[in-house]
Amino acid sequence: MLISTIFEKRKFAMTMIVLSIIILAVVPLFTPPYAIIYLITILMYVILTLSWTMFSGPTNYISLATAALFGVGVYASAVLNDVLPLFVVVIISGLLSFLLALSIGLLTLRLKGVYFILFTFGVTALIRNSIQWWETHITHTVGRHLVSPGNNAVYGYLVVIYALTLIFIFLLKNSSFGMALQGIGENEDAAEHMGIDVTRIKVIVFAISGIFMGMAGAVMATRWRYIDPNTAFNPLLSFLPVLMAIFGGTWLLGGPILGAVIFTVLQQYLITEYPYFYMLLMGLILVLVILFMPGGLLTLVLKLYIQLIILWAKTKWNWQVLTTRWKEQWRPQVAMRFAQWRLRWQWRLGRRR
Amino acid sequence: MSKILEGIGISHSFGGLRAVDNADIHVEQGEIVGLIGPNGAGKTTLFNIVSGALQPTEGKIFFKDEDITGMKPHLICHKGMARTFQTTKLFTNLSAFDNVKLALMFGNPERKITRKDAEKEINQLFAVMGMLSDRNKPVKDMSLAMQKRLEIVRALATNPQLLLLDEVMSGLTPKELTQCMQLISQLRNRGITIFMIEHVMQAIMGVCDRIIVLHYGSKIAEGTPAEIVKDPTVNAVYLGK
Repeated sequence: MLISTIFEKRKFAMTMIVLSIIILAVVPLFTPPYAIIYLITILMYVILTLSWTMFSGPTNYISLATAALFGVGVYASAVLNDVLPLFVVVIISGLLSFLLALSIGLLTLRLKGVYFILFTFGVTALIRNSIQWWETHITHTVGRHLVSPGNNAVYGYLVVIYALTLIFIFLLKNSSFGMALQGIGENEDAAEHMGIDVTRIKVIVFAISGIFMGMAGAVMATRWRYIDPNTAFNPLLSFLPVLMAIFGGTWLLGGPILGAVIFTVLQQYLITEYPYFYMLLMGLILVLVILFMPGGLLTLVLKLYIQLIILWAKTKWNWQVLTTRWKEQWRPQVAMRFAQWRLRWQWRLGRRR
Repeated sequence: MSKILEGIGISHSFGGLRAVDNADIHVEQGEIVGLIGPNGAGKTTLFNIVSGALQPTEGKIFFKDEDITGMKPHLICHKGMARTFQTTKLFTNLSAFDNVKLALMFGNPERKITRKDAEKEINQLFAVMGMLSDRNKPVKDMSLAMQKRLEIVRALATNPQLLLLDEVMSGLTPKELTQCMQLISQLRNRGITIFMIEHVMQAIMGVCDRIIVLHYGSKIAEGTPAEIVKDPTVNAVYLGK
């Protein structure tokens, strides 16, 4: 309780959100071009993880449709790339992913438990293979080329999407809708019996989480310049956000961000430094984190923070104890000794005279 | 007196098992009705059907003369029926206050409740149940008796006319039991009709106006506590003599 009351304070969350957006917006002015590419990858994972956590964090419904919702954005962007300006394409992609998420939600969110996971995974595979079949048998061209607006523009779009995602999650968390979502995750039967329209709330939030994934997909397609069904609907994109969220901690806004950032940095580092042991090391780290930090990395940060607060309080207390002792015990003693000493000297001096 | 709840020929089967078999029940406005029966008699199933968690295989349910058969639980809740659960189903990671707040916000859709009013109302509800000082505790730190009481507070927050209580008194100490019985009579004085499942005979005989007995899903007896105690079939099946 203590931990969450410190960090879920609205003002704290708001300042952190604004601060992170400002930092991200300013960073490209001071960094080499390679860093931008690096940041683009990180931001993509952060957006995907955040929008995954928006629905799956509080409700505990594990969605594996991330790749499908992302891929729909990617493909919409590829198809519309030379027809419409990127700004419009991003919005259309968001809407398409919204519609896909809405239909997935309407079909499956009446069900409880594991069926949802399986269905969402199935949908991803179905869409990927349908498009692949369409391209090999109907159009006879696999993959598409895109015109990129340049890395800086891509980065700018991603920062805006990141900001929108964060603001939406912040509003959601502080609304009755967010509380209802948490209630659904804790006990769906009880939530239903106290007047919460569980199906409606689940479907709406899941559909909205799709918007951000689709928009991120549309932007990332222009970054990659060439896409095909296997890159757009890469199944890893379904699993990574889940891993990142669990890695960072799903229960606070900062958890998924922290998880995604550290996970991506670690991944990039391991790929470049130890390309042969990359998966092995990654797996080992994940196992260790889940075994020893079941609440995610964020719990570690919070624990450290609490320790710091305790340390600060202790030193403050010790200081107070020391000062009062000084005032009440030591200073009088010292003063007395000093007086005695002065008297003695005066006496000696007096005798000498 | 008018019938607030009426079930005609309710049946429900889980596969081949007929959990509730052609049961006719009714609850009058302002009454306290008890539902008793041996374990596995279909009492909780009947409650689940009435509150909308399950759909009856056959039969119809009327609430305030309106057909609610097959309606979703949240709509039934909005019509003025609330329930508690045999195994407490609380939001364990939220505080007691937030549990009740959720019920207040979503249980009364036609009312716009401001934050301040909500807090006042929730505090009042906690005061009625005598747990005002525990309102900021996380639910996982509460004793079973308190959790059961919190479930009643949460049900009351949806402003019900009919309250379904599923074994709220099991597992309570004798002192808590008398408190709980007083509480139930208090609720009746506030104009809430109560339909309760109970195994504690002392409580059910003391508090109920009428008792319905279920056995293997069908109703075998109905009447005032005095009549039920004398009933030979009930004695043979459930009470024992």
